[in-house]
Amino acid sequence: MADVTAVAAQRAPEASGAAPLVRLRGVRLGYETPAGFHLAVERIDLDVRPREKLVVIGPSGCGKSTLLKAIAGFVAPIAGTIELDGRDSLAPGPDRALVFQEFDQLFPWRTVLGNVAYPLRVNGHDRTAAAARARDFLRLTHLDRHAHRHPHELSGGMKQRVAIARALALEPRMLLMDEPFGALDAITRQRLQAELNRIVTRTEVTLVFVTHSIEEALVLGDRVVVMGKPPSRVVEVVDVRELGGPETPQYSEMRGRLRSLLAVDRSEDDELG
Amino acid sequence: MSSVRWSGLPRVARHAVLVVLLVAAWQAYVSVSHVNPLLFASPWRTATTLWDDWRDGSLAAPTWTTLRILLEGVGIGIAVAVVLTVFATLSRFGADVLELLTSIFNPLPGVAVLPLAMLWFGINESAIVFAIANATVWPVAINLSAGFKTVPPTLVAVGRNIGLSRLRVVTDVLAPAALPHAVSGLKTAWAFGWRTVIAAELVFGVAGSKGGLGNYINNARLFLLTPRVFAGLVTIAVLGVVFESLFGALEARTTVRWGMKAS
Repeated sequence: MADVTAVAAQRAPEASGAAPLVRLRGVRLGYETPAGFHLAVERIDLDVRPREKLVVIGPSGCGKSTLLKAIAGFVAPIAGTIELDGRDSLAPGPDRALVFQEFDQLFPWRTVLGNVAYPLRVNGHDRTAAAARARDFLRLTHLDRHAHRHPHELSGGMKQRVAIARALALEPRMLLMDEPFGALDAITRQRLQAELNRIVTRTEVTLVFVTHSIEEALVLGDRVVVMGKPPSRVVEVVDVRELGGPETPQYSEMRGRLRSLLAVDRSEDDELG
Repeated sequence: MSSVRWSGLPRVARHAVLVVLLVAAWQAYVSVSHVNPLLFASPWRTATTLWDDWRDGSLAAPTWTTLRILLEGVGIGIAVAVVLTVFATLSRFGADVLELLTSIFNPLPGVAVLPLAMLWFGINESAIVFAIANATVWPVAINLSAGFKTVPPTLVAVGRNIGLSRLRVVTDVLAPAALPHAVSGLKTAWAFGWRTVIAAELVFGVAGSKGGLGNYINNARLFLLTPRVFAGLVTIAVLGVVFESLFGALEARTTVRWGMKAS
């Protein structure tokens, strides 16, 4: 009885959004392009709940990557506030670890082990502790056998796993991922999605994951935020926790719904097919 | 010709064979043409002169002098280039200054500033060091700033994300990422420095007792000691090969090993 109430009490604020980890209010985002200023996000209001897996999906240029960079502290919003635990004006920091799509996010002059251990040393671990901890996370991502290789000797999928290990070893509050599997082949991609699901659940890190793949959103997400075309707003936020596998009717129904949400929005956009 | 394939031989062996061929051609020319030995030394005479002058120190001393002057000049040039590049990387203004200065000074041959240097420093070592530094600073600065500019932005973002300060982003991310460019800048600088120091020493002619290799060659010319001229030139060539292979070894251990440069 006591346990049940404890769980309920723990869950209640999450479900109602009373204590979000990140709170975005009236956020407006844009960036400079060679053709001039591009207003990507018209306005976004969103809460990221502790320990949830939030996937952001939307057409190109809708500002989903910019949104991630804003939470990471690399981009300041033109208007509105982004609060982490009530703190505004975020600077980049290891409490929100980023994983990018590009394979060149690893330091080529460091070994796999060095890539994971170095950020730990930067953040106060001594050499031995950093190496030991890096090894733990390499084991978690099945890379321990490749610890002494250099990044150029790895496949794309392995590089992304190193980047994930490096991010998680920092024990961040949030893992921010910008289409990390976008440049991988379908099989590697599926395997890494499953692996990421397992690891994120185990480490209880809060995940914000940007993608343009509906399937990826459904596989990884607790909630999916659908953004419109730029200047974008949130079209809809859907809960995809209780869908079951890809065989279930609920899954196909949700996939159809997300497709139509994105398609409606794409109808006037010639660039997207 | 034979069953041994040329490309199958190790690099050292291929080069050794070429050197032997070159020396043989040199000897053949001397033997066949009956060229005036006062004007053209045979390989043998050159070798014995090299041996004698290295043993009694009359070639070793100028060699060390030249290397020391060269190191001083290149060292100063690199230091100035690093400072310039850091400014150029930190601000648009600094970048413009570097671009303008480079386009003015880089096309100048190293010795071209020597007359000014002689006016400012007198006819001494400092003038040569200045000329070398000037010949070094621009290629190093060009390469370093190109290296900094081509660092993947993702890598810099990762650096800031893991909590590096701005300064440590420069030292721990930009600097190693720019290393392939830095090494090629260093190689160019070294080559420019070599040419400048030898040319400058030749221009000075006899300048005190502590002359360098250029001075040694020029003195030999003055007294028509042609084998010594050859010995000096051979020394310069050998040193060039030695340093070239040192840079090659440096690259093999760093940028090539890290996959940042093709071997």
